[in-house]
Amino acid sequence: MKLTVNKDAVLEGLQKVQSIVSTRSTLPVLYNVYLKAEKDRLWLTSTDLEVTVRTSVDAKIARTGGTTLPARRVFSIFKELPANEIEIDVDDKDTASIRAGASFFKILGISEDEFPPLPKFQGNRAYTVEQKLFKSMLQATHYAASTDETRPMLNGVLLSFKGGKLCVVATDGRRMAMWEQEMEISREQEGEWIIPTKTVNELLKSLKDEGDLKIQVSENQVAFEYDSLLVISKLVDHTYPNFRQVLPGGAEERISLERELVLNAVRRVALLLNDRSNAITLHFAKDHLEISAVASDIGEAKEKVAIKYRGKDITVAFNPDFLMDPLRNLDGDEVAVELSDELSPCLIRNDKPFQYVLMPMRVK
Amino acid sequence: MSRGPKIHVLPDEVINKIAAGEVVDRPASVVKELVENALDARATSIRVELTGGGRQAVVVTDDGVGMSRDDALLSVERHATSKIRDVHDIEHVATLGFRGEALAALASVSRFTLTTRPAGQEAGTELTISGGRILEVRETGCAPGTSIAVRNLFFNVPARRKFLRSEQTELAHARQVFLVHALAHPETGWTLRVDDREVYQLPPGATLEERVRQLFGGDVLTGLRSVDAVREGVRVRGLASLPQVTRADRSEQYIFVNGRPASAPVVGFAINEAYQALIPRGRHPVLFLFIELPADEVDVNVHPTKKEVRFRHASRVRDALVEAIRESVALPAASEGGADRNLSALFVASRATPALQVVDLPELPAFSYPRLDPAAPVPSAERGDAAGGSESRVSVEPATPAATPAEKPWSWCRVLGQAGGLYVVLETEDGLILMDPHAAHERVLFERFMADLARHELKVQGLLSPEALDLPPELAERVRDNLSLLRGMGFGIAEFGGDSFVVDALPSFLGPVSARALVAEVAGHLERGGRRSGVERAAEEQIAMAACKAAVKAQDKLTVQEIEQLVRDLAASEMPYTCPHGRPTLIYMGFDELRRKFGRE
Repeated sequence: MKLTVNKDAVLEGLQKVQSIVSTRSTLPVLYNVYLKAEKDRLWLTSTDLEVTVRTSVDAKIARTGGTTLPARRVFSIFKELPANEIEIDVDDKDTASIRAGASFFKILGISEDEFPPLPKFQGNRAYTVEQKLFKSMLQATHYAASTDETRPMLNGVLLSFKGGKLCVVATDGRRMAMWEQEMEISREQEGEWIIPTKTVNELLKSLKDEGDLKIQVSENQVAFEYDSLLVISKLVDHTYPNFRQVLPGGAEERISLERELVLNAVRRVALLLNDRSNAITLHFAKDHLEISAVASDIGEAKEKVAIKYRGKDITVAFNPDFLMDPLRNLDGDEVAVELSDELSPCLIRNDKPFQYVLMPMRVK
Repeated sequence: MSRGPKIHVLPDEVINKIAAGEVVDRPASVVKELVENALDARATSIRVELTGGGRQAVVVTDDGVGMSRDDALLSVERHATSKIRDVHDIEHVATLGFRGEALAALASVSRFTLTTRPAGQEAGTELTISGGRILEVRETGCAPGTSIAVRNLFFNVPARRKFLRSEQTELAHARQVFLVHALAHPETGWTLRVDDREVYQLPPGATLEERVRQLFGGDVLTGLRSVDAVREGVRVRGLASLPQVTRADRSEQYIFVNGRPASAPVVGFAINEAYQALIPRGRHPVLFLFIELPADEVDVNVHPTKKEVRFRHASRVRDALVEAIRESVALPAASEGGADRNLSALFVASRATPALQVVDLPELPAFSYPRLDPAAPVPSAERGDAAGGSESRVSVEPATPAATPAEKPWSWCRVLGQAGGLYVVLETEDGLILMDPHAAHERVLFERFMADLARHELKVQGLLSPEALDLPPELAERVRDNLSLLRGMGFGIAEFGGDSFVVDALPSFLGPVSARALVAEVAGHLERGGRRSGVERAAEEQIAMAACKAAVKAQDKLTVQEIEQLVRDLAASEMPYTCPHGRPTLIYMGFDELRRKFGRE
């Protein structure tokens, strides 16, 4: 293959695909990006066998063909090239000659035949969502997913297209984050799928605040198409637990909190604790919230925050990370906390159709 | 009937031969009896000579109190002893021998010569006996003390002689007896000659450590910690190996009860309990332990050779042993504070003279942690690779001379990378360390669990929805039996009819582990642990071990920061070198060793 491509354009394309290029695979070709020259476009693909990312950039194709080249090296070379036009000429032994201005590089590649074939995608359901909304939904929920390998169904985010709603859910059994968005869904289109955490993180990196996102689902794969990007991922092949039963009934008290103020206070108090399983205690009293932590081998910390509260005194303990996660990942100035006592689940909401359920900790 | 065998009283000679069968069965037991007599005679040095594996001759010479002519003659009579007078004395036996059988028995089955002189008298006595018959008694000149020669053992008991093994085997047994007694009495000087060749020459007045070094070499000592604790009138002192020093069998466990090489089943149990969770199943620690307790607390008259003893209060002995061992093989708590904690100085010093510099090596924030015991892998803390990206991170560290690294309470370490898909590679001041993060994490969690439990600070995280689980009948039974124990340990578990249970809360530090996986693992151990004599702490440890294992299994991602924390936590733990199941957490390769291997010495 032989082609000429604009430096900035190809760098932008490489940037999008290189984040999933392997750094520790035992399969050499997975360190490479797959370049394919076809009809005025240069297609760039990378995969780690679970997630595949593909994009394309404009190019002047002199001779079609394909090869794979070491992704990170090619990216760093392209970035430093002195001219705007880059010429790539690959011979039939997969050696790429790269010319730009006075620079010349010869890079040894690996045959495209060794690159894992792009998953054949036959989506039988398709949905369209605003990128910005979908990104917010993932952002607000993804952190609650479990990392416990023994429960693979929780190692990802659930997308539930059902009953006129798109519901995005993540939980690890201790807390659950969920965003339920009204959406038109025909009966045939209904379904639920679990997207692996790794894919979610990939999406969060590249989703933008404009434009639409097309989601297609097949038997065991999901494809996200947005901007010029195609992300194909395996689905988690398990059944998600019934998450709705976890939503608590009416709570006795509802307290409005300034999100950043409380987040910062919790973060400061939690500095005292050197591991994440320790509890911080929230004491809600008339017009103030006292946040405190005690660790017998370290010391203690306390901070008071002024709030508007007239209800009964409540003292409740939480894992500090579980409390900070939603505060950190939501936007908006305020969150509402709904509580009954020190044992019942606590609910955190904001002005979006979002809910976060958190179980308290207690000391034995 | 009337023609049946007639009952008659056996002559003494026959009785002695029968008794000899109980007391003496091979040259090693001759050595034992004679050496014990020598010790009871307050000898300060004892010489043992073996010829032909002891089959031809065992000669034991001491510089003890010696005997007069009359005493010498009496000593070879059966049940003649200077050591006890009446039944009451048996309860308070403080001497090694006392049954008064040994010399008579020996004299009856060998060619026996006794030469003795008390320090105060001018002439000594020589007694020659063959097969129990006194051949000669005469005055002789000799050094103060007693020398007994037992030659041609069993020459007149062919049935016994046939059972003697090869010369080498008998010699090995006899040497072992010598070794044990030399260990038991480091204050006494010992000499061992085998076929006129001197094997050991151990000066008197040694400490136990010195004696161990003399007998086993200095290497053994580095893996041993001294033990000394008293509990409820039972003193346990001696040396016990760190968990990383183990053997495939118990042959390097030397146990002495009131100075006598002896054992009792409870001692074995106690050792197992003390090292449970520290060393792998099937491995055994190296021990030199002296159990000392009032004479009336121990019955040594269980067996003629006194190998096995009985304790009046076995549980006290067990508790004392467990506590003494644990106390000594645990690391001293990391000493906080102190002027030595000038980390930057430490850091700079340690990299002052690099042999090769890699110029673009990222300088990363230091982390420090308490130094581990130098006898074993010595990690330490300094730079952590926070970035974790570029693959070309070569590091060549100065080969630190490390003059007295053991003195510094803090050390530096950095994470170099990962190997084999699991092990974390660490570099420290003194060498490279491979850490098994799973094993390390298990150790840290386990100690944390037990500590929180003891302090009543165990945090319990509620579950969003109670997890129901069915167990096979056997496991369900075990869980039912231990429900209150489990609840006390932070498992919000309740019966749910049949063999089902619901779990609505778990100890929080176990992380995101599922209730199902956790309870299944724990239940399995309840079963495997068996009904462990109702010792609550042991049961708790079993549960904690299983829970930590399940928790660690559930976690397969670590950031560099978490690894650094793990190193620190591990260093601060009491038993950093092994996981609760006894697998090693660290493998250490010192720069000295590397230098040697690279031929840079």
